[in-house]
Amino acid sequence: MTIWIDAACILVVFFSLSILAAYRIGGMIQMFAVQSLVLSFMPVLMHSHALSLRDILLSLGTMVLKAVLVPYILFWAIRHVSMRSEVKPIIGIGSSIVCGALLIAGSFWVSSSVTFPGKIASDLVIPCSLATVLLGFMIMVTRTRAVTQVVGYLVMENGIFLFALSLFDAMPILIEMGILLDIFAAVFIMAIVVNHINEEFERSPAAVKRWSKMGESI
Amino acid sequence: MISLTFYILLHWLIVLAGAPLFLGVIPRVKAVISGRRGPSVFQPYYDLARLFQKKTVYSRTTTWLFRAAPIVALASVLMVSLVVPFCVFKAPIQFTGDILLVAYLLALARFFMIIAALDTGYSMEGMGASREAFFSCLSELTLFMNFITLALLAHNISLSRMIGADIPVSWQMAGPALLMAAGSLFVVLLAENCRLPVDDPDTHLELTMIHEVMILEHGGVDLAYMHYAAGIKMFIFAAILVPILLPWQTGNVLQNWAIFCGGMMGLALLVGVVESTMARFRLNRVKHFLLISFALAFFGFIVALWRI
Repeated sequence: MTIWIDAACILVVFFSLSILAAYRIGGMIQMFAVQSLVLSFMPVLMHSHALSLRDILLSLGTMVLKAVLVPYILFWAIRHVSMRSEVKPIIGIGSSIVCGALLIAGSFWVSSSVTFPGKIASDLVIPCSLATVLLGFMIMVTRTRAVTQVVGYLVMENGIFLFALSLFDAMPILIEMGILLDIFAAVFIMAIVVNHINEEFERSPAAVKRWSKMGESI
Repeated sequence: MISLTFYILLHWLIVLAGAPLFLGVIPRVKAVISGRRGPSVFQPYYDLARLFQKKTVYSRTTTWLFRAAPIVALASVLMVSLVVPFCVFKAPIQFTGDILLVAYLLALARFFMIIAALDTGYSMEGMGASREAFFSCLSELTLFMNFITLALLAHNISLSRMIGADIPVSWQMAGPALLMAAGSLFVVLLAENCRLPVDDPDTHLELTMIHEVMILEHGGVDLAYMHYAAGIKMFIFAAILVPILLPWQTGNVLQNWAIFCGGMMGLALLVGVVESTMARFRLNRVKHFLLISFALAFFGFIVALWRI
């Protein structure tokens, strides 16, 4: 089973990197959905020798919430806000990719000196989760649109989820489910807020002008 | 000495006979997927035979560089093929560090193609040359990163050893690293041989193409040399990739050979599927695609270091 866990870890990091390199918001959300789908198999893979109801519940919960509902809400938000579909990065996509590669190297370097108590399913889990957190953070700070920042936040959360899975036995399922619900609520609120801001601006052209003068866009 | 000559000639025979077939499978796959019958898989042989019968025409603005380029290109890839093992046919020439020879002979062929394209004085060829130079810089980066990973895993920097008997052990030890190396090598294969997500081999619209526009002014035997060189280059890349993906070694020579040939055909099939399902990238996105493949190769290198 280790080979599957390794493959899933690497796919998660690779999708974070692809989200960093995406230039369309729709593509970003799709790749986030696939990343979450890969991640949702992790609880089952990690405990394949003694599968319990709790693992399956967590897998299904992650799958439904992160791979279906959250992308759906995000797509709903970008459809209703009628924003342009391009990502607006602060630093270029090419340099983002190179920085992302360096962040991956850095996270491996850091986790080589970190030891965790307890048994970990694969030695790739910790560095890969750290890399995903850092890449998500990078997406968040270098992309200026609200939706892309939310995607960055979600990628970061995926990294934390991967990290938490390795400490799975110490964590009750209620906390995991609570975190999932929190994220769901956050994305939901974001979509509503973005939608309302947009409606407000549609009503007053002066506000749009002021907003565009500031060089900002949602 | 005689046996070495024999092995070299045998190697060249495989390459010269196999490369057009490899190129012929791809359009057939594309045609079948889009619901047509498509050309015969032997079509590249007929094309090459037709081109070899033609006379060449040279523009008066060109110099000897333009005439030398096809010969240098074909000669370089034929030399590279001597270093690459084809399954049961071991590489006739192998020494420590021959991967550098592979990379630089390919670069030499490319350099002559670029300089010949510039030699014609045709602006479109200049554009193609500039794109080729830029994209091959990036794909060479990925290629070297993958060579480093493979060398690290095999503890050797000879190509025959790097993709040789140690691969099954490396899959056990650092499977994810090899998986990523194979993935990014596949991207390099597509980019270096001007396949679809990077360059469209079928189009003759000068604005969008890279390799095809560079050989617009070549004709007859020269064009046949260029096409042959491009085909052999692709064949070599595939022959490097297949042993990484299918490392099984049975005791039987025929079975090994069947696995290798099946792998090559499978790879041609995969290229055909990729070409029929993907659209060409916009030119300014190609560099991001290549950089992603570099990041993947780099990630593979880190995982290899981590697992060793």
